Amino acid sequence: MGKKVFLGMSGGVDSSVSAILLKEQGYKVTGVYMKNWSKDLPGMKCPWAEDLADAKRVAVQLDLDFEVWDFEEAYKQQVVDYMLAEFKQGRTPNPDVMCNQEIKFKLFFERALAGGADHIATGHYARTDGEHLLRAVDENKDQTYFLYRMSDAATRRSLFPIGHLTKPEVKQLAASYGLDVASKKESMGVCFVGEVGMKEFLQTYLPSTPGEIREAETDQVLGFHDGAIFYTLGQRHGLYLGGGLPYYVVKKNLSLNIVYVSKNLNYPTLWTKQLKLQDLHLRNLLTVADLASLDRLEVRLRHRAALIPAQLVATPSGCQLTFAEQIKTPAAGQSVVFYDGEVCLGGGIIADL
Amino acid sequence: MWYNYSMIYLDHAAATPMSEAAIQAMLPYLRSDFYNPSAPYLPAKHVREIYEAAKNRIAHAVGAKGVDLVMTAGATESINLAFTACKHRALVLATEHHAVINVAEQYNSTYLQVNRDGVIDLADFKRQLTDEVDFVSIALANNEIGTIQPMAEIAEIMRTVRQDRLRRGVTTPLYLYSDASQAVNLIDINAARLGVDLLTINAAKCGGPKAVGALYVAHGIQLQPVVMGGGQEKGLRSGTENVAGVVAFAEAITEAKAHLQSNRKKYQTLAKIMRQGLKKGSSEPNREANWTPKSPSHTPRPSIIAQIGKKVNSKSAEAAIKLADSRGTGSIPSEQNQSEASEPHDSTAPLFLGNPKHQLASFIPVCFPGIDAERLVYKLESRGVLVSTGAACAANKGTKSHVLAAIGLSDPEIAGSLRISLGSTNTAENVYEAANIIREEVEHEYRRLEGNIHG
Repeated sequence: MGKKVFLGMSGGVDSSVSAILLKEQGYKVTGVYMKNWSKDLPGMKCPWAEDLADAKRVAVQLDLDFEVWDFEEAYKQQVVDYMLAEFKQGRTPNPDVMCNQEIKFKLFFERALAGGADHIATGHYARTDGEHLLRAVDENKDQTYFLYRMSDAATRRSLFPIGHLTKPEVKQLAASYGLDVASKKESMGVCFVGEVGMKEFLQTYLPSTPGEIREAETDQVLGFHDGAIFYTLGQRHGLYLGGGLPYYVVKKNLSLNIVYVSKNLNYPTLWTKQLKLQDLHLRNLLTVADLASLDRLEVRLRHRAALIPAQLVATPSGCQLTFAEQIKTPAAGQSVVFYDGEVCLGGGIIADL
Repeated sequence: MWYNYSMIYLDHAAATPMSEAAIQAMLPYLRSDFYNPSAPYLPAKHVREIYEAAKNRIAHAVGAKGVDLVMTAGATESINLAFTACKHRALVLATEHHAVINVAEQYNSTYLQVNRDGVIDLADFKRQLTDEVDFVSIALANNEIGTIQPMAEIAEIMRTVRQDRLRRGVTTPLYLYSDASQAVNLIDINAARLGVDLLTINAAKCGGPKAVGALYVAHGIQLQPVVMGGGQEKGLRSGTENVAGVVAFAEAITEAKAHLQSNRKKYQTLAKIMRQGLKKGSSEPNREANWTPKSPSHTPRPSIIAQIGKKVNSKSAEAAIKLADSRGTGSIPSEQNQSEASEPHDSTAPLFLGNPKHQLASFIPVCFPGIDAERLVYKLESRGVLVSTGAACAANKGTKSHVLAAIGLSDPEIAGSLRISLGSTNTAENVYEAANIIREEVEHEYRRLEGNIHG
């Protein structure tokens, strides 16, 4: 009898094809829909019921056991509340990173182990060698940026059945198996705010506090916003300042609730050669010193961004990254992920400037 | 052709394909005769006449005149309008469709209990019929288990209560309303014979287009419009008349009424094929006995199919009907029901819900205890058989069926329930084939549950 695997199934093409591949490889697969969020939001119907139906249809038609595991309460507390708290602090968190750390590769993993699992599996684009987390073959889809905080224990037991495939290959496989989800629209970013947008989501949970938008250079009031916490460094949409050249958010004053903007793409805060990191998560018992001594440390500053070389230096409060060239300043709260070749070494959260 | 014969469709309670005649009937009013019936010129007047004639034909099906009908955009609107007759308190059957329940929630409503077969508890009904009650809503036939309610008895009880009220000088009116959406093509929907004051009918369940319905309103009942505007339908349902839809509805309902008897026999026959096919393989001998010919001259069941031949056509159904008739179709359902009630239940044998004695012939609600019916739906879909669950499913957000709960099913029984509903696309062959496929998948699921199958 094959080894027992619990596979997270979202109803999408990636986890569906993962189910097919695992079954073909002889695993005894139980499909699990993780019910993390089911609330409708203003102007948007949460598609969880349809997603669950899609996941179950695929599982059943492959003759897999199928279960729904309800993590809504934990998701609200560990992911949504964290996200809201971060926004309130003026940062721009990444809820997917937190979801993987706290829900998929923690609660799901633990419950699967309790259920007698030899492995857990997800439809992420990533690979492992049984010990290390490795980048996916499809560089354009690699999702290790979101996975760097999963524990080593979970990594040792995790299977990523599509990590060696490209997205077009996955889609082709789905089509060749006649999967209805082959043509399904992909959910991007935070699944439950995908359609409605982060600002609309946040505004249902955080109070709107109107404030001024000022031009950074002149201090002139150009318009008004609904709350500085809803704006991110570098953002140029949703300012409603009229036509002409776009304005970019270049800094925020949270205590006075002022958003500063500029038309100058070279405004100093938009570019940097250094980043302070906190809340490091280093994989496989690595230390900052280990990373600092690497010949070639590469980092990813956002999902799908190119890897760029950087130098890591330990500081009393965490560590600091130094780049050879100016980089576009990422927002505080976002993650930086470290790589040595194809191996993901971990990462950290960008601290306030 | 309008129907994909690679699929066997067994969910006619959800939607029916439009009859070819209804499609043809509506086409002229989408093309050349598109005029607004309210316009002043002659071609529009002609369309107005066509519209009124179509309404008369629809009204004829409920034994009324066109002026007694308010045409609506589907049954739901008709239900909403009917409830506006309620000024004090409504009594509503617990097993009504959500379209009724969710309207009833807006009124001062009390729910009426049903028995295990889904039939109204008349004693409870009488008790609840206090002087405050002015509106009673009881669907002619249930949408999940097909139970037909004893409308004549209900109407009689209400007649007595009305007379009693008059004697005592109580002036509260008392109206009987029935949603007959599911029943149109299967049983008598004559408003007078049913004894109803308000009646909802729906084109989409009888071979007509979706979003076309009507409310029959007896004389003297005051309704409040729920859709306001240009004052069409005597001000009760504003909006330019859906001429093509109403013409198609008239065609479909006329056709359905003409085939009422033969349809019922057809579905009784097909339902027996389905019921027997579902029982096959389960270990209860008496279940098989229901299908054993009573005398040696009768042909054993498998040859029903052999006799009919392979072509899918209406002759096959007729042949099957004749064969079933020769065995005395009418008496078998009740016998079957008695045997079900008296026999201890085999754990893998299907449990048929409701009682064929008072159930739409096309409905085969069935429970496979312990099975996840939603899994069955997806498995069957992959094998070309389309059925619906009677119960909790992801698509309806996991809410369990209030109908199955009302007839006293346990949660596992509700979870294991399928709704099979026959219709115009079914033949003896495809029902026989579907029954075998369903049985195979049910057995497969039971084996899976026993741990003999590993994914």
